[in-house]
Amino acid sequence: MKFAYYISCINEGMTKELDIALNLLKKDLGIELARMEEATCCGGSNLEFVHPDVAVVNNARNIALAEKMGLDMVTTCNTCLLGLLEAKHKLDHDEALKAKVNRYLKSHKLEYKGTSKVTHLLWVLNEDYGLDKLKSKVKKPLTGLKIAPFYGCHILRPSHLFGQRDNPYAPRSLDLVIEALGGERIEYESKTKCCGFHTMLVAPEESLKVAGKALVDAVDNDADYIVTPCPLCHTALDSNQADAMKVMGSSASVPVIHLSQLIGLALGYSPQQLGMNKHVVTSRSA
Amino acid sequence: MEDRKQITFNVLCFNPEVDEKAYFKSYDVVLEKGITVLRALNYIKDHVDQTLTHRFFCQAGICGSCAIRINGVSKLACTTQVWDELETCKTKDQIIVEPLNNFKVIRDLVVDIDPMIAKLKKYKSWVVPMVKDEDLGKKECDVKPEEFEPINAATDCILCASCYSECTITEADRHYISPLVILRAYRMNMDTRDTAGEERTRLLQEDHGIWDCTHCYRCVEACVKNIPIMEAIQGVRHETFERGMTNTAGARHAKIFLDDVKGGGRLKEATLPLRTLGPIGMIGMIPFALKMGAKGRVPPIFPHKVSTHREVKTLVEQVEKESKKKD
Repeated sequence: MKFAYYISCINEGMTKELDIALNLLKKDLGIELARMEEATCCGGSNLEFVHPDVAVVNNARNIALAEKMGLDMVTTCNTCLLGLLEAKHKLDHDEALKAKVNRYLKSHKLEYKGTSKVTHLLWVLNEDYGLDKLKSKVKKPLTGLKIAPFYGCHILRPSHLFGQRDNPYAPRSLDLVIEALGGERIEYESKTKCCGFHTMLVAPEESLKVAGKALVDAVDNDADYIVTPCPLCHTALDSNQADAMKVMGSSASVPVIHLSQLIGLALGYSPQQLGMNKHVVTSRSA
Repeated sequence: MEDRKQITFNVLCFNPEVDEKAYFKSYDVVLEKGITVLRALNYIKDHVDQTLTHRFFCQAGICGSCAIRINGVSKLACTTQVWDELETCKTKDQIIVEPLNNFKVIRDLVVDIDPMIAKLKKYKSWVVPMVKDEDLGKKECDVKPEEFEPINAATDCILCASCYSECTITEADRHYISPLVILRAYRMNMDTRDTAGEERTRLLQEDHGIWDCTHCYRCVEACVKNIPIMEAIQGVRHETFERGMTNTAGARHAKIFLDDVKGGGRLKEATLPLRTLGPIGMIGMIPFALKMGAKGRVPPIFPHKVSTHREVKTLVEQVEKESKKKD
């Protein structure tokens, strides 16, 4: 099983540990990831309104690079997934736009055909790899660990982009991965809520309240860990956790881990090997 | 599922004159397949509990007055089938009914929408025509089909406030403009008869305005008329650039993504806060930077440039040039 791996910008910077963990476990799982070093930033859910034409050409180019490799494209970031799929959706439903975009790409020896699927690590595990196979790889089941799934917005909404996958109000894909790894999944209201990442700089007070509400909900439901398939959610929930908790009048803490790290723990890697010591919050307190 | 059965409605009730806080009342009713949640509530009011208070008018998905939360999701009671809800409810044959979020409850399922109306007024959610008031009605102000097309979807909004209730930022900041008010503003700005675009947009980009949206798409998902509300939010944000209103943290932040794709290909995270907030605004970010630095999570000041970054720059510039020509 081989994918063109679209590296989210944040995974080369603030959340390097997501990538470190993924690199460790890809051998165990038997998933080959061809790194797309030539891919550009997805536009971070911003380029679309700064310059809509550039946004679609930029992501058409990114997808065309995967098509040239003859591979489906996988990302580990929800917002990258959204940006890439928004472009793909437009291009696959508008022949005139596709032709226009391809006129630009042609002079750079690229063509957007629509042949490569754009997917996310969470979907790969559920759809391509299979949860039974994932279960068979588990060396150290996460028995007794209470894990709160935090999906993040851009893997659930807008749901029309994501086909017949998760119900945006009652998703299951991440819950099923937790169960396959032997963990105990927690049902809580915030699992489909927003983390506040996209307003961290522009509306910091609101962002802290948004993150704080989800964090307190997870703690109130006794979570040992929060797991998220998105490095942006991780950043909002981990790096500002103390401030977010304070806004909610709480002094509790709960470690937030990446999907790749959760799998790594079940495959027998140590938290240190998985870069979990790099997180701001490393222990749980009530 | 059988066509007739007993269903429990758990309704969040609150009468501020006597109750300290809201509480759930349970109503067991035998209903037939095909009944809507609104009809079920009317049945309860008529036959079980006359004190149950809810708001409705047209009963046909037009007026938007009966929006409530059903099994946790804001939607219209009059277009929601009880049998459909039974498929999604967590406890068998029980439906949870609550008032909309982000509003003060007047009684039971009725909320006070005055703050929303005040926001509609604040952002001039109507067409401000060129024609003077005294000349109105004397001459037609026609809108051609091709002029109407861009606002077609936005005009479907019935102000039911489902998006207001689901909005992440409205929950965190009651002064936040809210999705439906942005949608209205976008619709008026795009109306060829309107003349208040400049003034309205200036207001929209101020505090509690368009830049506070966190792109969570909850409004889009909840919209009972399937209006792509995010396109309106992005449309107004785009308009700030067109009008040269770029001196806000939101606009500066957004522009960085274009600059960085053009200048190397990858996002330069290390300088993103400085470029968004400016040197003074950056002071508040120092504790965050120290915290991340202590964990070795400092993004590289010069991230890897894609090797074809010159070609990428040319590509982006070509697109920019062509778009300008088109305008």
